[in-house]
Amino acid sequence: MKVLRFLLSVLLFLPHRAAALATNVATALIQIWANKIRSLLTVLGIIIAVTSIITVVSFVQGFGDYFTNFLRGLGTNLMVVYPEWIRGPRGEYLRRAEMTIEDIRAVDAHATAVRRTTPRIWAPATLEYGRQQQTGVTLIATSQFFQPIRNFYVDVGRFFGAVDVGNAAQVCVLGRELLRKLECDESVVGDYVHIDGQRFKVVGLLETKGSFMGDNQDDLAIIPWTTGLKMYPYARNYLGFYVEAADEAQIPEAEGQIVRILRQRHGLKPGQPNDFGVFKQDQVLQEFGRVRVIATSVLAGIVSISLLVGGIGIMNVMLVSVTERTREIGLRKSVGARRRDILSQFLTEAVVLSTVGGGIGIVLGYAIGFVASLHPKMVEVNVPLWSVMLALGFSAGVGIFFGIVPAFKAAIVHPIDALRHE
Amino acid sequence: MVTHTATQYPPPVIELIDVHKVYRVGTELVHALRGTSLTIRENEYVAIMGPSGSGKSTMMNIIGCLDVPTGGEYRLRGQDVSKLSQSKLARIRGRQIGFVFQSFELLPRTTALKNVELPLVYSRTPHRRQRAIEALKRVTLVDRAHHHPNQLSGGEKQRVAIARALAQQPDIILADEPTGNLDSTTGEEIMNIMDGLHAEGQTIIIVTHEDHIARHCRRIIRLMDGQIVLDTADDKRSPAARVSHPSKVPAQELAAS
Repeated sequence: MKVLRFLLSVLLFLPHRAAALATNVATALIQIWANKIRSLLTVLGIIIAVTSIITVVSFVQGFGDYFTNFLRGLGTNLMVVYPEWIRGPRGEYLRRAEMTIEDIRAVDAHATAVRRTTPRIWAPATLEYGRQQQTGVTLIATSQFFQPIRNFYVDVGRFFGAVDVGNAAQVCVLGRELLRKLECDESVVGDYVHIDGQRFKVVGLLETKGSFMGDNQDDLAIIPWTTGLKMYPYARNYLGFYVEAADEAQIPEAEGQIVRILRQRHGLKPGQPNDFGVFKQDQVLQEFGRVRVIATSVLAGIVSISLLVGGIGIMNVMLVSVTERTREIGLRKSVGARRRDILSQFLTEAVVLSTVGGGIGIVLGYAIGFVASLHPKMVEVNVPLWSVMLALGFSAGVGIFFGIVPAFKAAIVHPIDALRHE
Repeated sequence: MVTHTATQYPPPVIELIDVHKVYRVGTELVHALRGTSLTIRENEYVAIMGPSGSGKSTMMNIIGCLDVPTGGEYRLRGQDVSKLSQSKLARIRGRQIGFVFQSFELLPRTTALKNVELPLVYSRTPHRRQRAIEALKRVTLVDRAHHHPNQLSGGEKQRVAIARALAQQPDIILADEPTGNLDSTTGEEIMNIMDGLHAEGQTIIIVTHEDHIARHCRRIIRLMDGQIVLDTADDKRSPAARVSHPSKVPAQELAAS
């Protein structure tokens, strides 16, 4: 009963006057400073835990932002549909996977949740300009709708138009990275390049998109899909296409409509798998979500172990400190400190100690993120405020949890024994 | 209060009535105080003496509210404090009793001023700094207010400790061998300060085993085996006679005991 009453009074005491708290914090800082090395070693576990939290969270967050930006750059309502032959026994029941311009037109005509589509032929090509030659260039053959659907615009010159597509004109648009590799400047617009031996007029240059996961998105050339078909006739039956849904909310609906239309046109029976694939952005997000879960569980492992180690360290050093300062406790009691005053003093000390560790961890985490950001292929890391708060909260929590036993031990020392302690 | 009006003595600060204290050491019971009764009045200057094991430490602990008696009653300013909780005792220690210890017990890494403020912090007294400075003035140590204990001499440390005891304007100053860690000159200085405080009206109790310290006091209580064997207050001679020759009387009595 007495213990219960004491515990209750402790709880009531925790939101104690700010002045007393400030005094306790000051005392705690003096103690920590007086035992710098010991304090530092004590909070090593906390430092590691918090550094891990900040580093991992900032990396995950950084990659998250990166993916989001990439997807936004792709166009938020984008899907890609492509012929796909299912490997294994299930696929053997299928004919060869095919996709023609008629399929695309049917989707355009009947899928109400689809705003527009554009064919996509994707081929590696060799590109020549003057004496420069580049092989393995990504060549995309598509329509004038590529720009809005992929959210990828020309900023010098023009994109090719409906007339160019209709005429299968020999015109092309180049990406900036390709331009750099060809060692030419913007004056190339209006000039001619050779793509797989054919002469193309350069009508425009695409804006810079940057790279994604080490893949430069600007290393490409775009030509009208009709022209592409002339160059690569076999692609006629293996067309892919980009789809822009009417809006983001209608993406699942649009996918359902596309699947229904294509299955019907391809004569697939129920139970047979699709002979085409639909790529949606949320697949990227799911992929990333999996990475995030792994990172988070690894983090949770490191953090819980090091917090435990750190907590035990704090408990240990606080117990030593209580023993060392028994006389001080006796003196404080003789001048009027109650048990709860002593308890809160030592509890505050444990919390301040662990929070100082947390602070060092945050700084270290920031530093690691900053150094990592210096690498050119690294994404911009971002330390969200909530992770800082979480880290500080965790370290303070550890201080309270592991500080309560030593503080209690200090509080219940009898003043006479304390004053007699050597 | 009744006593006061009847005899025109100042009111009692401390009244021990048949106080017993029994400790358990292992399986053995130690009878540290065996029915001690004692009254100390306002502005008395008392020395408690006795060999080790006589119960003088126990008596000091009880008077200082660091411990409670197992039998009998202890009234501090009329309030029975023998059955109070730890928390209430802490409050009384903070507000009514000023301790001075043999080894000063100053907080290291804390300025003299902050040390003096300490009891005021625990009693949540306002204007702490001002009151602490005033207490330091009374021991003429204001110029050392911002020094840390390791920058002070032993005598100065003890003066800080006295200032700390004074800060709360306590009912009694309870000094446990206050000169025990000081050389005789410095010890004499400290005792002069005590004399001064007594002259200003402070009630002072000093636990000591040194005659020359006890000689400063106006009343000597000698303990032996948990009982008072000598109390100069029982002396039939007039208080004035003892005050005028404070150094002689206790010495004779001590020799006799």
